[in-house]
Amino acid sequence: MKEWFGDFRSFRVPSMVAVLVVMVGFAIEYISGRGVPMLFWPANAFFVGGFALLLVVAGIAFRNHSLVAWFGSIPLGLCLIFSLALLSLLGGVIPQDGLAGGVLAGRFGLNRIFSGWPFFLVVLLFLCNLGLSVVWKTFPFRFSNLQFMLFHGGFWIALACGLAGATDLQRVIVPVYEGRQNSRAYLPQENRMVQLPFSVYLEDFSIEEYSPQIVLYDPQNDRVISGQTGSVPEVGKGYRVSWQGISATVMDYLPHALPDRNGTPRAVSSAQGIPYAKIRIAAGENRFEAWLNTGSPFVRPGVVRLGRFYLVMFPGSPKAFRSGVVLSGRSGKRSAMLEVNKPVAYEGWKLYQMGYDENAGKWSQLSLIEAVRDPWLPVVYCGFFMIMAGNAMFFWKGMKQREMT
Amino acid sequence: MTLGDFPAIAAASMVCWAAGALLRFVSRRYSLLRAPSYGIMVTGTLLLAWFIAAYWLALERPPLRTLGETRLWYAALIPAVGFLVEYRWNIAWLKYYCMALAAFFLSINLAHPDVFDKALMPALQSVWFVPHVVVYLVAYVLLAASSAAAWHNIFSGLRSSSDLRGFSLSHYLALLGFVLLTFGLVFGALWAKEAWGHYWTWDPKETWAFISWLAYLGYLHLVANKSGRIGQQWYLALSFLVLLVCWFGVNYLPSAQNSVHSYQPN
Repeated sequence: MKEWFGDFRSFRVPSMVAVLVVMVGFAIEYISGRGVPMLFWPANAFFVGGFALLLVVAGIAFRNHSLVAWFGSIPLGLCLIFSLALLSLLGGVIPQDGLAGGVLAGRFGLNRIFSGWPFFLVVLLFLCNLGLSVVWKTFPFRFSNLQFMLFHGGFWIALACGLAGATDLQRVIVPVYEGRQNSRAYLPQENRMVQLPFSVYLEDFSIEEYSPQIVLYDPQNDRVISGQTGSVPEVGKGYRVSWQGISATVMDYLPHALPDRNGTPRAVSSAQGIPYAKIRIAAGENRFEAWLNTGSPFVRPGVVRLGRFYLVMFPGSPKAFRSGVVLSGRSGKRSAMLEVNKPVAYEGWKLYQMGYDENAGKWSQLSLIEAVRDPWLPVVYCGFFMIMAGNAMFFWKGMKQREMT
Repeated sequence: MTLGDFPAIAAASMVCWAAGALLRFVSRRYSLLRAPSYGIMVTGTLLLAWFIAAYWLALERPPLRTLGETRLWYAALIPAVGFLVEYRWNIAWLKYYCMALAAFFLSINLAHPDVFDKALMPALQSVWFVPHVVVYLVAYVLLAASSAAAWHNIFSGLRSSSDLRGFSLSHYLALLGFVLLTFGLVFGALWAKEAWGHYWTWDPKETWAFISWLAYLGYLHLVANKSGRIGQQWYLALSFLVLLVCWFGVNYLPSAQNSVHSYQPN
């Protein structure tokens, strides 16, 4: 047996095995015509647990068996790392939407690499390799192996549980209008609605915007031309922007205003108003003043025609958008503010501010809230924190070794 | 400080690096010029650091959003690594590679100027923004320096394999770079969970970050497997190309059309 494997540091057999595994994966993918059938809770948990147990038993009981030793060797690990990298490379170049690349690419699963057979088989073998190495470093326990255990063990847990638990991940979109309640959510992958165990009432949805931009619009070519700006970097009193032969200087600026009966802009509250700018325009010999505004569903945009161009003011990009909601479920009612990067946890779900009606912009009555439930998250995070702890120790060890050289 | 001042500052930095390097060459004969040569080279980097600080104040957000902005940091930090390596380990040649790389990145910014834009999209407004990007930036800087050291080792090492310091330099730079790459990847996953609802979605940028992490993971296992030294140097020298794809190249790939990691202004 040993002779057949040759030197344990050699790459000959491991590289052949890795290539073979990838080819077998593509063959199964081609024949079956679909990706790996995934297991759901609790079958996936039994699978991961059983797999881990198998590795522990094999690693301890057959430690000196050459086949087991080969399965946990560095050259095999390296060949599998390269195989994972190459498969990821395919996934990183070909759009992973299940449609790209035509019929043949679809048949080989190239447009859904990460749920396909080649990736699954390589990961499975990789987990064997990684798992055995962790078992050998853990039994018998030595403090000097702690860094290895944390980093490799953490990676094993994160990879195995992240992939096996993907089937139990629920991500749904809850569309809700201002002043209304909704407990039904949209499941994008399956294009159907599902019932949630709680409901969301939207009290208020609001958007803050950055300063608007003054640009030239060329309707013939449907093109927007940004100008050269002066020392004042954003639209406000004194802001100056110029193009060849045209310049515009802001004389007065009202960030939130509406026209009165005579059409003159007057400052109003930020919820109602839109940005107005009084600008002095110099185009060739012409000099004149005019009001620009960004427009809204209720006010026509104020633009100025300059030959074949229009001088327009675009609303700024959104700075923040948030939903004031009331959540009702078994645990009772709870008010919360949802904002991007600030999700709220409720009854085992996490709620995220996802989007709004972008055509209505600031006047959107609709808020899109994403609800996510991931029962495997604590285990995967445990893996992440083990990786980070091992990583910090690796840094420390590396630094100490460096002092010796 | 706005982008209008950038060409002058970038040119001044590059002139400082070039003049300092030239002076250092001349100071082999006239040792009196040695200290001024370092002074001039370091000034080039300090000028750039000053620009970044002033630009940060003017933008009212960390200038870490666009690729052009990250190149600015890179151009300031990589010569700093070169100077630190010389200060700590007395290895002089690395700084020239570092300054050349920094000048290259400044030139890209000069050829494709950014637009002054204060906007920071809501997804980026997070406590994770600075740690995630800075850890990655420093990782890229160290791995670029490691790649430069590896190229140097390949060409000098093929002539004589006596210089072991050069080999251990490229190794430790890669090791430190890998540690930071790992932190950057995990920080990114934790942030993604808070911002987008899931820690990993195989977004093209994530996929490429995973590939580059695997590439350096491969390097560490090649070392553990005691593979040939020159082979390791070739591996390190070329691994940086994968990082470059992850950093800049991803945006040009067909897979990146729907990437959530695109923060370039339209």
